[in-house]
Order: sequence, then structure tokens, then C-alpha cells
Amino acid sequence: MKVALAGNPNSGKTTLFNAITGRVEHVGNWAGVTVEKKEGNIKKSLVEGNADIIAVDLPGAYSLSPFTSEESITSEFVKKENPDVIINIVDATNLSRSLFFTTQLLELGIPVVIALNKSDLSKKKGITINVAALSEKLQCPVIETVSTVTRKNGLQDLISAAVSVKGKKQKSPFEGLEVDLTDKKSVEAADKKRFELVKAIVAEVEDRKTSSNRQTRQDAVDRVLAHKWLGIPIFALVMWAVFSISQTYVGPFFADTFVGWIDTFNGWVEGLLGDRVSPVLKAILLDGIIGGVGAVVGFLPLIMVLFFLLALLEDCGYMARVAVVMDRFFKKVGLSGKSIIPMIIGTGCAIPGIMATRTIKNERQRRTTAMLTPFMPCGAKVPVIALFAGVFFNDSAWVGTLMYFVGIALIIIGALIVVRITGEKNKRSYFIMELPEYKFPSIKRALVEMFSRAKAFIVKAGTIILLCNAAVQIMQTFNWKFQVVAEGAENTSILATIASPFAILLIPLGFGVWQLAAASLTGFIAKENVVGTLAVVYSITNFIDTEEFALINGATDVAGVMGLTSAAALAYLMFNLFTPPCFAAIGAMNAEMEDKKWLWGAIAFQLFTGYTVAFVTYQAGTLITTGAFGSGFLPGLIAVTAMIGCVAYLMKKGEQKATAKSALKSA
Amino acid sequence: MENLVVAIVILAIVAVSVTKIVIEKKRGAKCIGCPVSKSSGGCCCCDHSANE
Repeated sequence: MKVALAGNPNSGKTTLFNAITGRVEHVGNWAGVTVEKKEGNIKKSLVEGNADIIAVDLPGAYSLSPFTSEESITSEFVKKENPDVIINIVDATNLSRSLFFTTQLLELGIPVVIALNKSDLSKKKGITINVAALSEKLQCPVIETVSTVTRKNGLQDLISAAVSVKGKKQKSPFEGLEVDLTDKKSVEAADKKRFELVKAIVAEVEDRKTSSNRQTRQDAVDRVLAHKWLGIPIFALVMWAVFSISQTYVGPFFADTFVGWIDTFNGWVEGLLGDRVSPVLKAILLDGIIGGVGAVVGFLPLIMVLFFLLALLEDCGYMARVAVVMDRFFKKVGLSGKSIIPMIIGTGCAIPGIMATRTIKNERQRRTTAMLTPFMPCGAKVPVIALFAGVFFNDSAWVGTLMYFVGIALIIIGALIVVRITGEKNKRSYFIMELPEYKFPSIKRALVEMFSRAKAFIVKAGTIILLCNAAVQIMQTFNWKFQVVAEGAENTSILATIASPFAILLIPLGFGVWQLAAASLTGFIAKENVVGTLAVVYSITNFIDTEEFALINGATDVAGVMGLTSAAALAYLMFNLFTPPCFAAIGAMNAEMEDKKWLWGAIAFQLFTGYTVAFVTYQAGTLITTGAFGSGFLPGLIAVTAMIGCVAYLMKKGEQKATAKSALKSA
Repeated sequence: MENLVVAIVILAIVAVSVTKIVIEKKRGAKCIGCPVSKSSGGCCCCDHSANE
């Protein structure tokens, strides 16, 4: 038996899906989190008779008209795959809006069961819904549910109701007209009729004590947090607090203990190996595998605290306000209002962020968003940020905050450039996002999110990063004749000879040494590799030990080993953050852009951006701190000027194209 | 003898890592380990051109 979960965005479908299947799919207190269907088996404890029931969580939709891709996924699934039953999740706090979609579902003939979700919240708000009358009006079972609690949540009744209606023909209270979806007028007329019907049903079954147009405390808070000017410094302050807690106070406290365990383990293995084992094998196991992976995993507590705090922010409804604050900037530079959603999702991982761009209808806006989303620092980049903030900037929380804001600035500049290159007029798009209500964030949900991210981090460290570190150690140990390189002759190693040509290109950026070039190159496989490779090539087993390389008190030893100035370190950090993302994210860009020209253009643009930002940071920083430009200024300036020239040429060509297009139109 | 044992241990670790990557890729993970990067693998691929 197959049950489809369908409903409006932010009605709680994924929370209900997780509750009935026991899965831990990502949920967010805002619309548009789910863009693909997800399947899971309903827990046996909820099913009478031990039957196998598959639940399919569909993206949120306001109607069955396939006007956006997530709506078309929902529409296609319910129309073509014929689920046995549809569980329609209706937000009890917003009945009138939710029932529009319900009436469309009822017309399909597939049995429908309504989950009157968030019924606890609706009661708190003084909304009374006559469930029996609603069920009678809609001619289908209506079950009150609260999917955020484990007891008395109505979920067992919901599943029982779904099983009981299987195979029955669904009657519709409203016979819809066969609407020609290409004809706007007939669609509008049919929608109007449907709204009238919904309005009549709601008037009969709902008793709302609060007046919806009354100014609430939430509105007062929104006037500050979502204010067009105040919203930005507040966001900066919030991010600074998040980084302070995760990377200065709470994170390092746990990291210290954690790294101690890794060190103990490393020491234990070293003692076990003794002196009889070949130094090469010892180096691969201790420095490459355990040391390299340990250096990355050492940042796990910091990442866990960061994601816990971000989950709290998302769950309480704040991130949706950030979307509103940023929306006006994004619209002005030719991005879709919806572009903010992939970018916020991208702070966790760029790949789902890029995948979320498919909700954007306009092709140019969708591709531009997919191209610019990786500029938001993802979770994989957090260890790199934490390392450089700790080692070179006395663990200042402003480093992490700055990286987010530089990312946003690059997105805005990038969008302005792309809109000119493509020669498309800056079309204003209107994005109406339903703001979720503020609520006390669920600690349980934040913990689930935190452990889910932690698990992902460990899996990645134990697979991709482990293999890369082992490979880096082998390539560093041997030369091309596969002889062990002598001490002091490391620059003859395979790794050094591969990385050295790239290192030359990086001289104007302040880090033209093969070790740093190698770390950046492995970063394209997974960004955490930057930390792992640095650990391997500089033989540093951990970056967080309070005695040697204290994250809190500065780590001059590590800085000394790397031989970087603060300006060069900041440039190196920006280079790794704003050059193209990992190969997996590039693959996702390829899938969403569906155009090779766009993909290669995006990669070139990201390389140009990362190089230019790093060059400006290093040279300006060096000029400020020493009074003179850094090494390789002139060749770097020539390279950056040439790249800017290319971009300017493309922009000019695009503008000519746009002028020609508008001339043709007016003719 | 010790060298052989250590070499086998290293190869075993590498083999486990490679196997995990292959399994994750087969499950449709775009980014290894990432809980939210799995593709749907179903029939509902959206047709962007239809939405323009």
C-alpha cells in the first residue's frame, strides 16, 4: 500500500513523515524545504495487522496546477502514480488557505484522509474547528494530529483511517471545471469559485476568536528583525554570536577533550607499531590516515555546536526573516526572490542548496542561483574557517561572520555581472513567502539535526578524506621513481611536483608554496581535505590541542610552520572558500543548469572570483600592515586585470545583445 | 612480518572506505555522508522547460 503525503508548504508534511516512518529527513520552519519526493516505510507500531505501508513525502504545493517544479512533482505523482490513499496535511492554524488544495485533491477520485496538523497550535490561538462537520462537508475522514509530540498525537488514528479508506471511491464536494491551464482567465475564474466554496466551508466549521488583522507581538518583533535596514546588522550580530559560541566558547571546550582522545589513540597505535615497522608504512597509517583524519575530525565538536545553533535559528522562524531581509537585495540584482532559499540551505551543504534552485521558474535566474549558491560557506568549509580563525586571528568570531557576508556580497556582485553578460533585462520577480510563526525551537529537532550532520561529517572523514590523506601521504613519501624521498628533499616528491606549477600561480596571492597549493587542490575533492592535507604535509596531528596549538589562545606554532602572514592566511581562506566548490557540488550544478556552456562559465567565474578576492585581500592587507605590496604584485595585477577585461568584454557583448533585442522588439 | 600486518591493516581500511563510497553512490548520494543530498531516484524528475 502506498500513501502520499500532500499539503501546502510549511504545513508540517516532513515532520509528520519523520514521525510515522522514523526517518530523519531535514525539516525547516519555513516553506520550500522539500523539493523532491521521499519514501519511507510506516512504522509497524502505527499499523494494525502488520501491513507494509510506504509513505511518500511530496514537496509542498498550494495547488495542483503545475506552475512550479515542486508543484509539478506533487501534481505528477498524485495524478500518474495513483497512490492508494492521499493523506492531505492541513495546517489547522490556516484552514482557509489549506482547503483550496484539499478540494483539488478530492476531485482526483483517490481516497483522501485529512490530517488536521498543528491542532495544538490552533487551540492555543483560540481557533476551534468542528472536526465532525468538516469531515461531513469534505466527505472524507479528518483526524487531528500533532506530529511534534510522541504521545496522543493522533498518528495511529490517521494511519488506521488511511487503511480503512483504501480502495474506496472518493466523492468530491466540488465538481471542478475542466480548466484550460494555458488560459489565465479560465484558471482565475475556476480558482475564484473554489475559493468561494472553501470560504463557505470554513465559515461553517471554524470558530476563530482572534481577529486575523490584529497586530500581534509577532508582528512587532518582525518589524525589527525583518526591517529593511535593521535586519542586516541584526543578522550580522546573530551570526557573530553563533560563531562565538561554536568556535570560541562551547565548541573548543568539547573539542579539547575530543582531540585528547584522538591523540591518545594515535599514541596507542604508535606504541603498538614500535620500531620494527617500516617508517613508510608507519607514516601512511599514523600521519596519513589517523593524523589526517584526526585533524579534520578534531573540528567535529565545533561543527556540531554550529549546526545545533543554526537548527535552533531555523526552527524558531528566524531564518525565514533573513530570507525576507535579503530578498529585496537579490531582486534588485536580477535574482529571483526564491534565490535566498537555496542559499540558506547551502550553508549546510551546497548540493541540496543547488538542488533547491529547481523551484525557480526563470531559467536564467535558476542557473545564476545554482552558480552563486556555492559562495555561501557550507558545513565542509567550517573546519577551514575554524582552523584559520584559530591559528591566525586568535579565534575571532568575526572571521566566520565575515566569510558569510563576503559570500553574500559576492553573490550580489556575481548576479549583477551575470545579468549583464546574459543580456537579459533585469526582470523584477515577486516572491511571496509565508512567514512561519515564531516558536520556541525544538531542542530535540536541533539535536537530531546536529547528530545527523555529525554522522555525515564522520562518514565523509572515514571515506573520502581518509583516502585522500592516505594518497597525499604516499605521494609525499615517494618520488616519481617510487623511491622514498630523503629528508629535506620533499620538493622532489610526487605531490610537490604536481602542486608546484599551481603554486607559482598562487605567488601573487601570498601562498605560493607547493604544500598550500596541494591542500587547495585536494579541497576540490572535499573542502575538509584542505585541513587534512595541511595536517599531512606539515605533520601536524591536530590543530586544537590546548597545550601546543591552542585554538583559544592563538596558535603561533602552526602559523610559524605554515609561514603565512595574517594577510596571506586570510587570502588563502578566501581562495578556498570562493573558488569552485567540491566536485560533487559541481556535478549538482551540471544537473541543475542542464547546459555545458553555463557550467563551464560558472566554474571559470568562480575561479576568477576566488583568485581576485584572494589577490585583493593579500595585496591590500600587506600594503596596510607593511606599507608595501606583497610578492608577485605586478604579475598578479596583470592576471587579474586580464580576467576583469574578459568579464567586461562579455558584459559589453551582453548589453549589445540586449539593445539589439529591444530594438527588434520596438521595430 | 610486522610490515605485512600493517600493510594488510592499511589495505583493509582503504577497502572499507572504498566499499562505503560505492554503497553510498549506489544509494544515490551525491555527497558522501550528506543526509540531504540523495537524489529522488524516482519517476518524478521535473521538466523545467514545462514550467517556463
